Amino acid sequence: MTDSRNALVVDDHPTNRLLASALLRKLGWTVIEAESGNAALTLAAEHVFSLVMLDISMPGLSGEDTCTQLRAAEAGRPLHILAYTAHAFPEDRERLLAAGFDDVLVKPISRQRLEELLEKL
Amino acid sequence: MGGIRGKLIGIFVLIKVVPLLLLAGFAWYATSQLGADVSTKAGSMADAMLSTIKSVGQTVTDDSIRALDQRSREAIESLTTNAAKEIADFLHDRDADIRQAASLEPSEAAFRRFLSQRSRPIYQHGPWKLAADGRSWEPEQPVKREARITRPVLADNAKDFHTRPPEYFGESEQRPLFVEMTFVDLDGNEKIKVTTGQLTEKSRKNVVDRRNTFVKAETYFPELKKLKAGEIYVSDVIGAYVPTQAIGPYLPAALEKAGKPFKPEESAYAGTENPVGKRFRGIVRWAMPVVRGGQTVGYVTLALDHDHIRQFSDRLMPTDERYTPIADAIKGNYAFIWDYKSRSISHPRDYFIVGYDPQTGLPTTPWLDADLYAEWQASGKPSHEFLAGIPSFRDQSLKLKPAKEQVKAGTVGLDCRYLNFSPQCDGWNALTEHGGSGSFVIYFSGLWKLTTAAAIPYHTGQYGKSPQGFGFVTIGANVDEFHKAATETAAKINLLVEEKDANLTIQRGELLDHIAESLTATGIGLWTSTLLMVAVVIAIAIWMAGLLTRRITAMISGIHAFQEGDRKHRLEVDSADEMGELSRSFNRMADSVEESFKRLEEAKEKAEEASRQKSAFLATMSHELRTPLNGILGFAELLGNELDNPEQRGYVEIIEQSGGHLLNLVNEILDLAKIESGEMRFARVAFPLTELLIEIATVHRVTAETKGLKFETILADELPAEFITDPTRLRQILNNLLSNAVKFTDAGSVVFSVSRIDGDIAFAIRDTGPGIPPESRETIFEKFKQLENFLTREHGGTGLGLALVRQLADHMGGRVTLESEIGVGSTFTVYLPLDISHD
Repeated sequence: MTDSRNALVVDDHPTNRLLASALLRKLGWTVIEAESGNAALTLAAEHVFSLVMLDISMPGLSGEDTCTQLRAAEAGRPLHILAYTAHAFPEDRERLLAAGFDDVLVKPISRQRLEELLEKL
Repeated sequence: MGGIRGKLIGIFVLIKVVPLLLLAGFAWYATSQLGADVSTKAGSMADAMLSTIKSVGQTVTDDSIRALDQRSREAIESLTTNAAKEIADFLHDRDADIRQAASLEPSEAAFRRFLSQRSRPIYQHGPWKLAADGRSWEPEQPVKREARITRPVLADNAKDFHTRPPEYFGESEQRPLFVEMTFVDLDGNEKIKVTTGQLTEKSRKNVVDRRNTFVKAETYFPELKKLKAGEIYVSDVIGAYVPTQAIGPYLPAALEKAGKPFKPEESAYAGTENPVGKRFRGIVRWAMPVVRGGQTVGYVTLALDHDHIRQFSDRLMPTDERYTPIADAIKGNYAFIWDYKSRSISHPRDYFIVGYDPQTGLPTTPWLDADLYAEWQASGKPSHEFLAGIPSFRDQSLKLKPAKEQVKAGTVGLDCRYLNFSPQCDGWNALTEHGGSGSFVIYFSGLWKLTTAAAIPYHTGQYGKSPQGFGFVTIGANVDEFHKAATETAAKINLLVEEKDANLTIQRGELLDHIAESLTATGIGLWTSTLLMVAVVIAIAIWMAGLLTRRITAMISGIHAFQEGDRKHRLEVDSADEMGELSRSFNRMADSVEESFKRLEEAKEKAEEASRQKSAFLATMSHELRTPLNGILGFAELLGNELDNPEQRGYVEIIEQSGGHLLNLVNEILDLAKIESGEMRFARVAFPLTELLIEIATVHRVTAETKGLKFETILADELPAEFITDPTRLRQILNNLLSNAVKFTDAGSVVFSVSRIDGDIAFAIRDTGPGIPPESRETIFEKFKQLENFLTREHGGTGLGLALVRQLADHMGGRVTLESEIGVGSTFTVYLPLDISHD
């Protein structure tokens, strides 16, 4: 866990974006939201985040591509990127881990599950 | 490919070469047989020909010999009868002489005149001498005879023109017929006696006394007294016997061997055997009463010189020589005369002519066989007395032996009546005793002799007593001489046969060689051509098999290409035959297969597309369901934490429960769908089994104990440290069953026991729930077949759990069993196979 508790939540679905933000804020995070991959990249260039929760199926830049570009842009800095997705099959998890995500948070999420993951980071 | 090729060649060779070889073999066998037959037949033909030639030769020879023998016999018989007749004629002429003499006025002058008017030539050989080597006699001056022809032989007469020189009987000497002419008075006194030559006494005597007669042997006077007027008396041949010192050629060696001095002049004359010997001299006396005025006043007698009679036989030669001045007895060709008592009165060997002892006037003992001689000796009688009591021709046989004593003594006159070792005597008598003639062949004195006999038809006086007349002439002839020509021909034939035999043998050899050569040539030709044909057939077979199999090989490689994926490959159809049809059929099949493949691939693509779409659908559905559930469950939880009013919190919990149920439903539906579409992938990883089991048991223990149930976990000792299967799915199965057990049990306990049974790990979950009725024990494993009284609503089940458990267990190589009793409880057991290699 870094000292900086700035988190970026990226999801095109407003409800799910809000849920993740709400939960993180409950856990004491400062959260900025983005509704697309491009927006996330723009924000990431302006701010310093230690955590990104990234939806996968989004219009425009996909979650994986966004992850790749974030990793490229933030190279050398500690950044935890969690996949925040409704893709629940085991092969999806493997694919995402391979794409550079630190872990996968499968929808529907619970506070307990989120806390466990954040603990592991 | 070599198989079909080999078989084709084999079949071809079998159906072509074997008959060819059989044919060749048969031909060779037949040819060999033919050769052997021809050889055999040629051999037997040659043998038969030779045998025929020999047989013909023999037959011809035999026939010739027989014909010649018959011809000769006929000639000699004829000669014999002619001689007999001539003798008879001669004797009859003497009858005429005596009649004329009887008519004469008895006076010496008249008698002298009478005698001088009667003479005949006597033919005799000239002087002979012992040859220089002393082994034969030879004439001092050999007589040369020559057939002269002083004119050309006409062509018409040229065939078998045969001429003979003038016949030569010997040196001629005109000799008076009679040696003596007498007139005897009625008292036997010789009143007139005229003699010629020196044979008889010149003084007149009384002939009553035998001692006053010729060789003191004449006894004619008593016979004269019996004569009537006109009757003629003819005496026997009377002469002194001339002994010999040797039988056969009288030569110094023979005499020396006999231990006698060589005095040929003192021994009997014997023709060529002793041409200088002493001659037998004899007479035959004719007599007739001299009647004057009806009264017999005396008797006139005429003593015939016996030499004149001998002339008829001594000069005869029963060969092509016809006549001879000197007989050659040793050769067996000679004539001789026997008198009416079968006594020899003419013979080339003078010692064989019977005669009288001039001292006693008694007959000299004739030659007897050894037995008769011994018999005579034993009798002690004079021979003439002894022989008078012996039957004539007694048991004559060639087996009897002549008396050697007589040979030694040299007295061997032949009296056929007692010459018993000479059976021809009996034969001659058989032929002539009734006046006839004839012949037979007898082996005698080492020669096969034809011997003829002819009665002398002279029956005057005492000779009229028997049809045999005066006696008989016999001629002996060496049979071999007759058929000399035939035997010479036979010898020639035999020579020819031998030549022919040799020729035939050579020809036969040549023929056999030729046959053998021909057979060899045929064999070589036959087998060479057969082998050539076999070679050609095999070559054709190989070529044809190659031709056939080349196409088949091409076809097979084409098929292989097709089989290995070149589905565009087609066979070349280059002929209209079965192979072409096969290619066409294959091509049609290939078209069809290609079409099928195309359709299959299309179908497969469609199926894959469908599967992809299904997977995409499942993923999308899962994604789309989870997205709103995230909001529902997440905000419900947040809301629950915010609310203080318990009633409101209860509502939020209901939202959370419903959302959770929906999430379960979504998860299980997706799992089943993935299993059924074959998209679920099962991992095979080794993991620590006990650890997993305890972790699972802990979760459910909490739930069970919260519910007031007893939860027991029994893990067997023999469980392996690591188990290989998909741990996620195993966890899913056990969670499902354990949560069901806890869920459906209101009181009592849940027992989770894991043990090893045979090759399986058995996971058994026993509860003390209500139990499952038998009729439902199978259906509960089907989708949405949860029991009525355990509705989802009450227990939060999806109705898909057991279906998923069974499906998972099946796909992991295991199975699920259920034992249950209503009101007691249920036991679900999952068996999964133990991977022995990781035990």
